[in-house]
Amino acid sequence: MNIRRAKVEDLAGMQASNLQNLPENYSMRFWIYHLMSWPQLSYVAEDHKGRIVGYVLSRIEEPDEDNPEKDIHGHVNSISVLRQYRRLGIAKKLMLLSQEAMESVYGAAYVSLHVRRSNKAAIGLYKDTLGFEVAKVEKKYYGDGEDALSMRLYFDPEESHAQQ
Amino acid sequence: MSRPVPAKRTLPSKEASLFKDLLSLYESRQLKKALKTADQILKKCPEHGETICMKGLVLTHMGRRDEGIDLVKQGMRLDLTSHICWHVFGLIQKGEKNYDEALKSYTQALKFDKDNLNILRDAAHLQTQLRVFDALIDTRHTILRLRPNFRQHWIALAVAYHLNGNLLEAKKVLETYERTLKNIPDYDVEHSESLLYHIRVLEDLGEFKDALDKLDTSAKERSILDRTAILEYRARLLTKLQAPEAEFAWRALIDHNPDCYEYYRGYLSQKNLSLSSANPSSEEALELLQTLSTQIPRAAAPKRLALTLATGPAFSSLIKPYMTSALQKGIPSLFSDLKSLYSPTNPEKQNTIQTILEAELDGEEAADPSTYLWTLYYLAQHHSYLGDHVKALEVLDRAIEHTPTLPDLLMFKGRVLKRCGDYLGAARMLNEARLLDGQDRFLNTKTGKYLLRAGLVEEASGIFGLFTKKDAASPGADLEDMQSFLYILEEANAHRINNKLNLALKKYMAVVKVIESFEDDQYDFHGYNLRKFTVNIYLNLITWEDHIRAQPVYVRAALAAAKIFLEVHDDPSIAQAAAAVPELTEAEKKAKKKAKKAASKAEDNKKAQQQQNANEDKGLEPPTKDDDPDGTKLLTSPSGLETAAKLLRPLTNLLTTAKVDIAEKERMEIWLLSYDVAIRRRKLLQALTSLTHAQTLNSAHPGLHLRLVHLHHFIRTTLLNPSSSPSNPNGSPNPTGPPAPIGPAFLEGVKQLGVPDESQVSLETYNQQYLQKHAYPSPSDASKAEVVVACAKAMIILGAPLHEVENLLLGIVSTSGVGDGDGLTIGLALEIGEMLKGLASGREEEFREGCRRVFVRSTVFGVGGEEEVRVLREGVLRDPDVAVGADEVLSV
Ligand SMILES: CC(C)(COP(=O)(O)OP(=O)(O)OC[C@H]1O[C@@H](n2cnc3c(N)ncnc32)[C@H](O)[C@@H]1OP(=O)(O)O)[C@@H](O)C(=O)NCCC(=O)NCCS
Repeated sequence: MNIRRAKVEDLAGMQASNLQNLPENYSMRFWIYHLMSWPQLSYVAEDHKGRIVGYVLSRIEEPDEDNPEKDIHGHVNSISVLRQYRRLGIAKKLMLLSQEAMESVYGAAYVSLHVRRSNKAAIGLYKDTLGFEVAKVEKKYYGDGEDALSMRLYFDPEESHAQQ
Repeated sequence: MSRPVPAKRTLPSKEASLFKDLLSLYESRQLKKALKTADQILKKCPEHGETICMKGLVLTHMGRRDEGIDLVKQGMRLDLTSHICWHVFGLIQKGEKNYDEALKSYTQALKFDKDNLNILRDAAHLQTQLRVFDALIDTRHTILRLRPNFRQHWIALAVAYHLNGNLLEAKKVLETYERTLKNIPDYDVEHSESLLYHIRVLEDLGEFKDALDKLDTSAKERSILDRTAILEYRARLLTKLQAPEAEFAWRALIDHNPDCYEYYRGYLSQKNLSLSSANPSSEEALELLQTLSTQIPRAAAPKRLALTLATGPAFSSLIKPYMTSALQKGIPSLFSDLKSLYSPTNPEKQNTIQTILEAELDGEEAADPSTYLWTLYYLAQHHSYLGDHVKALEVLDRAIEHTPTLPDLLMFKGRVLKRCGDYLGAARMLNEARLLDGQDRFLNTKTGKYLLRAGLVEEASGIFGLFTKKDAASPGADLEDMQSFLYILEEANAHRINNKLNLALKKYMAVVKVIESFEDDQYDFHGYNLRKFTVNIYLNLITWEDHIRAQPVYVRAALAAAKIFLEVHDDPSIAQAAAAVPELTEAEKKAKKKAKKAASKAEDNKKAQQQQNANEDKGLEPPTKDDDPDGTKLLTSPSGLETAAKLLRPLTNLLTTAKVDIAEKERMEIWLLSYDVAIRRRKLLQALTSLTHAQTLNSAHPGLHLRLVHLHHFIRTTLLNPSSSPSNPNGSPNPTGPPAPIGPAFLEGVKQLGVPDESQVSLETYNQQYLQKHAYPSPSDASKAEVVVACAKAMIILGAPLHEVENLLLGIVSTSGVGDGDGLTIGLALEIGEMLKGLASGREEEFREGCRRVFVRSTVFGVGGEEEVRVLREGVLRDPDVAVGADEVLSV
């Protein structure tokens, strides 16, 4: 599958994939907002006919009034791959490209994300393939009451130890 | 310049300071306090227009809309020269998405306070939304003049010129802007983005050398932070400059992201090679890809692209290890990955693949059960893709027997059954797959979709509901809220199959609504992106929005809705029938009650919240009220044709003015339906133009043939026949003959369409000639079945005897006429069934029987009566035999 940076033309396909794959959905304005704010961070995979079969939607979180000490970091909002295209390494590649951009464009210190505690496939991807670690468990984070693992990956491995 | 302030606007000093408070309270949305303050002023000065307007605005924000808007209007009348009054009025109109009127109000406001930055900014956003770029440039100039120290105002002016097509001026503005810049901090993303914008302008102007220089200097200074963009611009610019370094630039991109096909294309083209196997030098290209593949082993793209390029023995030697490794690993997506290698005209590759698979199955069946299973799975997809569904099912049954718990097998079996027209069986399979992995929303969505394909709307809703928000009024309401086109369109189609035209229409129009909301979505970004300096992506957003109605979902919904409006126009009785309250089944009654309860609960929750928080800002958008929840009003509305015209017009505009990606089949349908609508609205020239466009696309298309017959028949019987007008069943005014100024031009244009004069060849003969010429093999790329249906419809228009029409249509499924070559699809067969029904033909059942012969596995032509369908229906939601707990996750 062809893997490249997300364009405006991909938004509808990204939204449609998300609706098919995940229970957390967003209206178009939210998708547009991410691409308009951080146009370098989101990536897609497309099939030979140009249909979107996977995407990662990411953002940057900056220190703000509530958390002035917080490091600037990337956050993966949503990632999924259509079932017929899974296990091809697509999600892994999407993640790596997005992470590279977070670090090089914004100087992000780490990338964070939330994942359902029961989502074995995704946890396998983050932990085993990409090297994320669990930062904390957020009880009943999801609409249906399931817990979320809040996971992190520091781009500088030393940093990772310092934070443990 | 200051105007004298009218006496009635001047407030006593205490009230004047209260008024200032009111404005700032409103700005910070402290609505309750703002309201109190307004009342305080009004106690003393009850006729103060600006205060009354502000009070109205505050009330509107608080959700007391009608009252609020009344006050705004009252305040306006009291002070028509106040910029505040006009501004408030403009805000209200903008909230209603009435951008046109809002801009007028803002323009008025600016008359009385021409340098008001707030108003200028809003006006600029409205001008962008409405694409009035000349005026936008003026506004941006004014803003820049007032606040030249703001970086974004310079960029905004450049963008205004850019949007207006004046790139040269945009470039000048950017240059001036950059000269004013001082002390840019390091690692400034905003600066980086604005430089990239500047380079894009240079590239679009064709000034490649300057663009490249700017890129290289900025990259060296680390002013541009976006590495992907640097590399991509570089490769593109060097290519356009035909510089030898282009090759290295593309190679660098491949290292950067070795799975982007575009980069390989760029790299190969530098060596005069291409990614197509038709290219004579494909061997060299192949070698290059193999080198790259060894250099970057983690990359999938060069291996996969090599398969596209290779032919003959080279292909065999590459595909074998590729497939074997994937099958051994158990990668379920292998077929999705490879299917683009299949070709109807050159079956070499699929034959090689089939040989490999069959050898795999013969050889080591016992050796590795997992490989065996995935091989069967692949083979089934292979056969079905090539049209051999029976074989596919055979293979699938072997695989399912081997491993009954793999959802992918059941999912695919469902797909094959769907392709055979066994919609109920397909839904049942998907449901079984879903029960094997209840946590996967993908399987859930597919099950719902298949249930809708089978027309089981309520059952689908129950399935969707497992993943939608529990506090939504219904699963469908949540999916619609979340803008799921898949759901909306599939449910619309389901209602259509079930002949509930009102509900179908309602859903098609829901698609249109979502697309309209996408169009509104851009509004906030006219300001936002300029503040963020993300200009390039913003300009792409503007283009995307300009073409938003070319989205395939819009095209499909608009065409489907227009068809319903046309059908109802031609036969209003079907609207009455569809709109008559249908008898609900027990299940439907229950579901309806439940939905009603949920809706009223949601409403209660909302009310409770409202009371809790009177300070809550409800915004300025009017709440959406739906006074036609089941689409009956829509379906029976006398302005159906106008609505259809409104749906189609943006499409014909896009087709004639923009480069949009709409498939040929849809283009044809757009023009044909535009004709249908226009001719019924007596828009003769529009009707004619539509046919001319259709003719350029494909002059032998059966749908076009039908319209040509219709047009000539219409001219003869209606336009040129004054006595026909009183018999017009719709009672709409029916002019006798074309209006004088259009008449001759129209008739001349009609001649150009090339239908022989009726004095030489009658329309009946013309129709028969088309049938003969195109039935087989058709030079129009249409199937025989399509040609036959078009000719039968033409015969009906021309008033041919019933038995002749019947004979023609029944011929399609007669034992001798059956064959894949006839291209009868299930959809077309259903349409013929409807035609026969409409003709009150006695041979409808005979036709269905024929269909059952052609589509052996299909359930849509009544497999032995209602009873069997009922049993199947219930089976859809039965628990499968291999019951695995829905929460037990099976990883594939
Ligand atoms: C999670 C998901 C995105 C993975 O996509 P993918 O493209 O199939 O993943 P990849 O092929 O890149 O897999 C990379 C690695 O992740 C792990 N992984 C992926 N799927 C797995 C599964 N079903 N079980 C266990 N591990 C799995 C493996 O370690 C895999 O490496 P391997 O194939 O070399 O063993 C995909 O399964 C999906 O879309 N699921 C539904 C949506 C979802 O849950 N999104 C995550 C929300 S936080």
